[in-house]
Amino acid sequence: MQPYQLNIADAAQKISARELSPVELVQSALDRIEAVDEKLHAFVLVTGERALEAAQVAEQEIAEGRYRGPLHGIPIGIKDLYDVAGLPTTSSSEVRQDYLAAEDSACVSRLTEAGGIIVGKTHTHEFAYGVITPTTRNPWNTDYIPGGSSGGSGAAVASGECLMGMGSDTGGSIRVPASLCGAVGLKPTYGRVSRHGVTSLCWSLDHVGPLTRTVRDAAIVLNAVAGFDPRDDATSRLPVPDYTEALNDGVTGRTVGVPSNFFFDDIDPAVEGAVRAAVEELESQGLSVREVQIPYADQMLALEYGLVVPEATSYHQAMLRERGERYTDEVRIFLEAGELVLATSYLRVLRMRTLLKRAFRQMFEGIDAIVCPTVPATAARVGQDCFTFPSGAETSVTEAYVRHSAPANLSGLPALTVPCGFDATGLPIGLQIIGRPFDEQTVLRIGHAYESATDWSSRQPDL
Amino acid sequence: MRPPLSDDAFDQLLKYARLDLTAERKQGAAAGFAAVLALLDSLEGIELGETPPATAFDAGWE
Repeated sequence: MQPYQLNIADAAQKISARELSPVELVQSALDRIEAVDEKLHAFVLVTGERALEAAQVAEQEIAEGRYRGPLHGIPIGIKDLYDVAGLPTTSSSEVRQDYLAAEDSACVSRLTEAGGIIVGKTHTHEFAYGVITPTTRNPWNTDYIPGGSSGGSGAAVASGECLMGMGSDTGGSIRVPASLCGAVGLKPTYGRVSRHGVTSLCWSLDHVGPLTRTVRDAAIVLNAVAGFDPRDDATSRLPVPDYTEALNDGVTGRTVGVPSNFFFDDIDPAVEGAVRAAVEELESQGLSVREVQIPYADQMLALEYGLVVPEATSYHQAMLRERGERYTDEVRIFLEAGELVLATSYLRVLRMRTLLKRAFRQMFEGIDAIVCPTVPATAARVGQDCFTFPSGAETSVTEAYVRHSAPANLSGLPALTVPCGFDATGLPIGLQIIGRPFDEQTVLRIGHAYESATDWSSRQPDL
Repeated sequence: MRPPLSDDAFDQLLKYARLDLTAERKQGAAAGFAAVLALLDSLEGIELGETPPATAFDAGWE
């Protein structure tokens, strides 16, 4: 096994025992980027020299007994929406080609303080406004998309170019690429992790979090980045627990809801089969299961777009007027549409969000989490516009992916995707676990229990 | 339901929003706006009563 193939927990164990040098690990990740990124285009920018310098410093610190913890010496990729001091934040857009970050975003600051080593910045769908990431390819089959908008991080983590990639999730942009690329993706509770220094898409729905190879790795990263930040008004003052602590406690005595509507309405049978098999596996471990009804199912997409469209336009208004021609057509159309939305329509959506929160709280009575498919279909082919489901329903690729993601964005609840199988063409399938507010521990615990009983997360694409 | 927007009315609306678009771009913007409007209109039937928006201003200074 090459160093780049290790997960964070295993690499950290070797680094802390001085069996593996951060320089060796970072060099291995950089070699992997050199070998496969021509096919994947996961990275906007590779910071090899800077990464090796940081790895040498980490090696020295560890040799002197100053080991910082499980992220010390770990190669990480940062979505190109996050500011990293001295590097451009292009947001994968021509509009921001000349933007150079003056300081680190909150997450980057916390990750580097924990010893993480940035090997580069990963591609996003332009300004995170989409779930395709057209620049990048899926490592399991490069004829397919990696999903998005954190598609670069998804492809990079799954292919071994880095051990963790940061993402952002406004309508599934962590969970969609993680699911499509066979990685673990965690969208924490709204307000759990600071978004300071991350380019906004929609303040009401933006979340930031990690894409990793295992659930434990996601918990390790959350330990480093979670917590109050006065620079992000949405962040919570609730204490941050050790998210790795209860991972092995199992699921006995826990109850999950499996939706009888919405999530299984229009779905690829291979995805449904894998998810239902995953639920059975968890039941065999002592998890109780009952049916639940997702509230406001018919309104979910309208609520998602009703917040994203006007808020994104507000953020982009000046740039749209000054250099609108530099946006891709697809993004520009929605930014222009947002200029025309009435304030009362936007406020209607915000008022409905209050109703949705109350309804979700009621639905969660007696259950610890919801278990459902992350997305209704595996990766779309590059250029594919829509999916046709067995019911005959034809749904655009974007709508299909966003639909399953929106409930956790609108409710703000923590949501994890864990690999739960592959379809007949060898493309990964994801299991989504949505928990109670600020109860990432339970979500991670259920995810870890499932992951430990299967070998999906240990499989790696053959590139 | 809202009455459909005439081309002239849409032109005026774009000017009002300070969007100076080519004829081709206007077509795209019209389609995008129609799609967003249809989604927003689908919410009209939900009774909101006294429900406040899901926002809360924090007057604290920290």
